Amino acid sequence: MITKQIQISDGVTINYIETEKFKSNYISVNFISELDKESSFLNSMIPRILSHASGSYPSQADIDKRLQYLYSASLTTKNTSYGQYHIFGFLSDMLNDKYALGTMVADEMVNFLCDIIFNPYLEDGVFSKQFTENEKLEMIDSIEAEINSKTSYSITRCIENMFEGEIFSIRKTGTVEDVEKITPKMLYDAYKNALSTCRVEIYAVGKLDIDKVASTFKAHFDKIERSVTKIIDITPALIQREIKQICEIDDVSQGKLCMGFRLGKSDDAVLANLFSELYGASPTSKLFVNVREKKSLCYTCRSIMSLKTGSMCVVAGIEATNKEVAEKAIIEQLECVKRAEITDEELESAKKSLKNAYLSIYDRPSALATWSLNRKLSGVDSTPMLEYERLDLITKEQIASFAQEINLDTVYFMRGELEND
Amino acid sequence: MTNITVKESLALNEKYYTFKHSSGLTVYVFPKEMSSSYALFATRYGAIDNKFKLEGDEEFTCVPDGIAHFLEHKMFECENGVDAFELFSRTGASANAYTSNTRTAYLFSATENFYESLEYLLDFVTHPYFTEQTVQKEQGIIGQELKMYDDHPMARLEKGLLQALYKKNKIRIDVGGTIESIAQINADLLYKCYNTFYSLHNMVLAVCGGVDVEKIEQICDKLLKDSEEKKIIRDYECDDEPYEAYKTRSECSLSVSKPLFAIGVKINAIPSEPNKRLKQFYTMSILNEMLYSRSSEMFNELYDKNLITHSISASVEQYNSYFFNEIYSESSDPEAVYDYFVSHINDKKKNGLSLEAFELAKRTLYADNIMMYDSVDDIADALVTNYLEGTELFENSNIIASITFEDVEEMLHSAYDERCYAMSVVNPIEKEEK
Repeated sequence: MITKQIQISDGVTINYIETEKFKSNYISVNFISELDKESSFLNSMIPRILSHASGSYPSQADIDKRLQYLYSASLTTKNTSYGQYHIFGFLSDMLNDKYALGTMVADEMVNFLCDIIFNPYLEDGVFSKQFTENEKLEMIDSIEAEINSKTSYSITRCIENMFEGEIFSIRKTGTVEDVEKITPKMLYDAYKNALSTCRVEIYAVGKLDIDKVASTFKAHFDKIERSVTKIIDITPALIQREIKQICEIDDVSQGKLCMGFRLGKSDDAVLANLFSELYGASPTSKLFVNVREKKSLCYTCRSIMSLKTGSMCVVAGIEATNKEVAEKAIIEQLECVKRAEITDEELESAKKSLKNAYLSIYDRPSALATWSLNRKLSGVDSTPMLEYERLDLITKEQIASFAQEINLDTVYFMRGELEND
Repeated sequence: MTNITVKESLALNEKYYTFKHSSGLTVYVFPKEMSSSYALFATRYGAIDNKFKLEGDEEFTCVPDGIAHFLEHKMFECENGVDAFELFSRTGASANAYTSNTRTAYLFSATENFYESLEYLLDFVTHPYFTEQTVQKEQGIIGQELKMYDDHPMARLEKGLLQALYKKNKIRIDVGGTIESIAQINADLLYKCYNTFYSLHNMVLAVCGGVDVEKIEQICDKLLKDSEEKKIIRDYECDDEPYEAYKTRSECSLSVSKPLFAIGVKINAIPSEPNKRLKQFYTMSILNEMLYSRSSEMFNELYDKNLITHSISASVEQYNSYFFNEIYSESSDPEAVYDYFVSHINDKKKNGLSLEAFELAKRTLYADNIMMYDSVDDIADALVTNYLEGTELFENSNIIASITFEDVEEMLHSAYDERCYAMSVVNPIEKEEK
């Protein structure tokens, strides 16, 4: 899948996936660090402050005009976590030069990205006080708005509680209090630190002069003294303990149940995905058919697999009074899988919808790049096609064995006030 | 043997086929080398079609609000008790449907077994099955769906805006209807609507991906029956619509962290010629990019005053019976944003627009129109939209290219009439101090 890989500096790699099927090109610059209470909230702010203004484009309006000039090129900040990894940076979609009526969009965008990253807009040797405050407000807004989406908020709370004291519980954006204490100097120091110590994976998808892209980035990285922090890949702990029960009250009419499970020692991504698709990730899954449709317990009931953290969450929107019934039904479906009570139709449907998902990755440059990066971080050399081909070989017994190692760890429930509270 | 037309664009390096099938169905086949293929089977029938008759009928039929959407739900229930979604799970396709103001669409995307899935699609949509029991069951389910949208800030914001801008125009009808209106729906009414609007002469099929036009034609031959064309007469009652906005404000309260606002401009001059209407649409789109994008004066001044933190979204909505512009975002003080908006537009009218902003906006629209061709979904959707509008897909690029700075300036003056503005606001619920 990777057409060419070029190491341009200590810990900086260009990964090129060549394809002519799109009318656009895609580039992402990914800084890789580890989730950490003291630094992640600062690292989350770095792409925001850098894309607010740069040395050559000293205001938001200037940045946007430049993007419009480059034929509506996009510049989006990236801030994600993958297991213990915190990935922050930028991604950009741009029109292929062929259609840009003479403008060399790819070259110009690479130069522009380098200006954003290596030539920030500074005042008195640090980031602008005004811009830092602007970005802090926007970040605080985002954190406060998390509660607007009750389903994803309940998943976050479940994870935080399940992994209390472990690295996976750390919020990459930090809390509102963390963000409030950020100063321009703190942010600038974090930026300098990221440039010299973070591993960087640059992805390019499309039809580009990749050697030219590489040499442009290299010229900038060569000016930086790099000493890359090595991150040791964490194997999730195999813990079994008394089930944690958490209940929080909020202004909701519908209850949100999120059950956190710990997985076993398997690191087989294809098997994990197939189990999840069968158990609760598709409209033909056991959870959807049995807990939602047959028992009419909820409108949403699905499973979210995270092999990297060794966990799985099942989230459901239910009536507050149905909590115990729903928990029981969700566990019962898992027990069915453990006993290999899987019909041929259920297995076929799960394989078909997962095959669909694997093949669809090839239709979006960003999906190709992200998928590839995540596998690389896991140390796995694979392609969506290779994993697709493995699906037909997986048996009900293998799925049952995978399920047998799964144990309930934490139950998080958010509900409105009840009369007997 | 159907007459197949080829449309080609050398500039875009794309080509598609179109034909009118003997059944009356208009078909578009757009080959594209992607892993996914997509099919969209739509009827020109939506929430605005609540008063209609067939040529030769004496009286008009009036139907309850929400019936087009209700019908869409019921389509999935097949006579043999099978849910149509089950059919698609056999082939591994991902199916869906939606109803809008102007159309109802049934679609699927698939990476394998495309033709088999297409047969399912054409088959289940051409075989309606409605009974009083199935209607009653659906009233409960749709009732829940309507309640869900009542809690949805964007849905409430949009509804508030349409009902403020328009007094009589059918665009103000809620696609889902209300609990009361759907209670009036019965199987007979559903069949009446189905038999009127789901005639293949009133429908369109667009497929995009690894598809072969001859194979598509064969499938149509196999599954679609010929039928007599009966002209549909739709009464949109546009004549009663006042020139100015019906109400200047619409407000409600929901559980949101910050107020949301939407400012609409009703545009009364609607060209009847499709290409002229499309040019008006793109001219307004360019004007939106100039006035509201992140490089605009308005965005940056509001941002600096801390009145907004997120981008302003802007869109033009148009059909042969309505045309309006809408901007929306979040703000701690929507009234201050509105006051700024009014004076800013007046200022632009007085002092003129920027040629530089025009050039940049035009580049943006040009590029977006090209990058759309990377998505099989967007292509199929665009084919259906162009069919319903009476325009041709590849012609869109030429229309965009033809727009001049003078066109945009003229649009600013003719479209932005303060009497035609309205604002819809969704406020956070006032929480009592505990």
